[in-house]
Amino acid sequence: MFILSFLTRGETWGVVWDFTAENYANIFEPVYLETFWESLKLAFISTGFVILLGYPFGYFMAKLTRKWKSRMMMFLMIPFWTSSLIRLYGWIVIFRANGTLDSFLMGTGLTSEPLKLLYTYPAVVVGMIYALLPFMIFAVYSSAEKLDMSLVEAARDLGASRWRAFLTVSLKLTLPGLLSGVILTFVPSMGLFFIADILGGSKVVLIGNVIQDQLMKTHNWPFAAALAVALMLITTLFMVLYRKITKVKDLEGIV
Amino acid sequence: MKKILAIIMAVVLCMTIAGCSAPTENAADTNEYDVGGTLNLYTWEGMFPQEILDGFAEETGIDIIYNNFDFDETMLAKLQAAGGGDYDLVIADDYIIEMAIAEGLVQKLDKSKIPSLGNVNPVYTKQFFDPTDEYTVPYGAGVQTIIYDPALFDVEIKGYADLWNAAFEDNVGLIGNYRVIDGMALKVMGESYNTEDTAVIEAAGQKLLELAPNIRLIKDEGLQEDLISGEVGAGVVYTSQVTMAKMAKPELEIVYPEEGLGFGIMSGFIPSQAPNPNAAHAFLEYILDPERAAACFEFLGYYCTTLPAEEFIAEDMKEFLTIPSDFDTSKMEMIENVSAETLELHEQIWTAFKAECE
Repeated sequence: MFILSFLTRGETWGVVWDFTAENYANIFEPVYLETFWESLKLAFISTGFVILLGYPFGYFMAKLTRKWKSRMMMFLMIPFWTSSLIRLYGWIVIFRANGTLDSFLMGTGLTSEPLKLLYTYPAVVVGMIYALLPFMIFAVYSSAEKLDMSLVEAARDLGASRWRAFLTVSLKLTLPGLLSGVILTFVPSMGLFFIADILGGSKVVLIGNVIQDQLMKTHNWPFAAALAVALMLITTLFMVLYRKITKVKDLEGIV
Repeated sequence: MKKILAIIMAVVLCMTIAGCSAPTENAADTNEYDVGGTLNLYTWEGMFPQEILDGFAEETGIDIIYNNFDFDETMLAKLQAAGGGDYDLVIADDYIIEMAIAEGLVQKLDKSKIPSLGNVNPVYTKQFFDPTDEYTVPYGAGVQTIIYDPALFDVEIKGYADLWNAAFEDNVGLIGNYRVIDGMALKVMGESYNTEDTAVIEAAGQKLLELAPNIRLIKDEGLQEDLISGEVGAGVVYTSQVTMAKMAKPELEIVYPEEGLGFGIMSGFIPSQAPNPNAAHAFLEYILDPERAAACFEFLGYYCTTLPAEEFIAEDMKEFLTIPSDFDTSKMEMIENVSAETLELHEQIWTAFKAECE
């Protein structure tokens, strides 16, 4: 792919072995830069929400009794038995005009007419959160489960408030899980372009969409390869930065 | 124990990856049986009613292996990888056939083996992708039309330009075909779909940005569902989608845009190294039969390209499957292949347009 990204497209079809850096120069067209920005923005928003929802979930799940833990695990796993695409179509049924959510809201009298929920930015964000949340939950759960509650009790005994005990003991000890959860959500969220297509009506243009268009419609494979290389570089850059900032070496749940 | 598990998982993963590439191998494996009479058909899913496929197998003793692709581009890439072999008959879109012919992947038809070739409607012959009709037999044509629910709007739609009207705010669905949608702006400006003038295309890009507030949705597959459910009130759609939408919701109105119509033709061709070209010729002949063709087009929902078949099409579907008799064919223009730079520019204004819609 790296080599392909330096080649030239054929006039109608295929690739010519002419080396050029033009594909990379093309990336700096404002249109394409904007899609990179859009991808990053969506990745940050989704990761943010996933932390807010996934961390408490994973944390409290680890505190359940053994029986309930395995039940919860089961509930989280069952959706994975069907294809992710089919589950996305489920969201369409919920969001569409006069769909499940609309009927519910109108039934309770909260709204009087169908809301236009499908094909909007929030619909895309919900889809992203839905797809990525389990990864965060599992990562946090695996490190929260190892948390020795006697340490928290010790902190409380020594006069720490509930919050302080959580912040200084629990959070610190489950941080590796949280951080690997962030990696596990951030990296794939840069590439989940089909969610934006299906729930966003193709109006949220991510870098993945552009790569697909370049491959399937414009037949410009070298440019698609260049975009993919750039995407990988950006993702790697963020991971390196992230490691530098958080000083985490081993990622719980991943390694 | 954990290690063993990990190894097992890795092996399973490898097997699933290998499984993904299996179809091509299968296609290659079946070739040795072709002497006994197999037709390797390669086209989109759902192009023929089952009874036509079964009928052909029964009458000729030739077994049909139906391979499908989702995009024309996938087809050409596979055909190229197979060196023009593996498949006996491919049905795909006009523009990709021009490329396939240019790449030398298509063989000339043996017209003596297709006596019913004269049944093809002359409107659809001698087109840009095969100017002398040496390589292809048309199977279905489509135009891009506007369809809308007149009850929802005070304004009447006559052409593409009306879609820019503020009355349609956040209520228009478009197919995700960038040449068609970019072309729509070009048509409003009175230009050709196939212009190579970069300044004109850039102006069309600007024009499209003004349309963005009205766009609710862009998608290629299943756009008719959103028209039927009322998710969008107006849409620019393909012929087969018009047929499905109208059948489900008769109050929708079809508009043939006054600026002119873009149309496309699907055609069958025989790859250069087809293992069993005789079976392909036999199948083309089989589906050119007027009655069978009528059954095919009723199933397919595209314009009937086999002229004598028109009288066999059910009355209630005729409206959707034949060109309106008062239709000015001089206003029709095919979307042809343009130079790489022009294509690049089209893709750019299309991406900018989609991003602006959000």
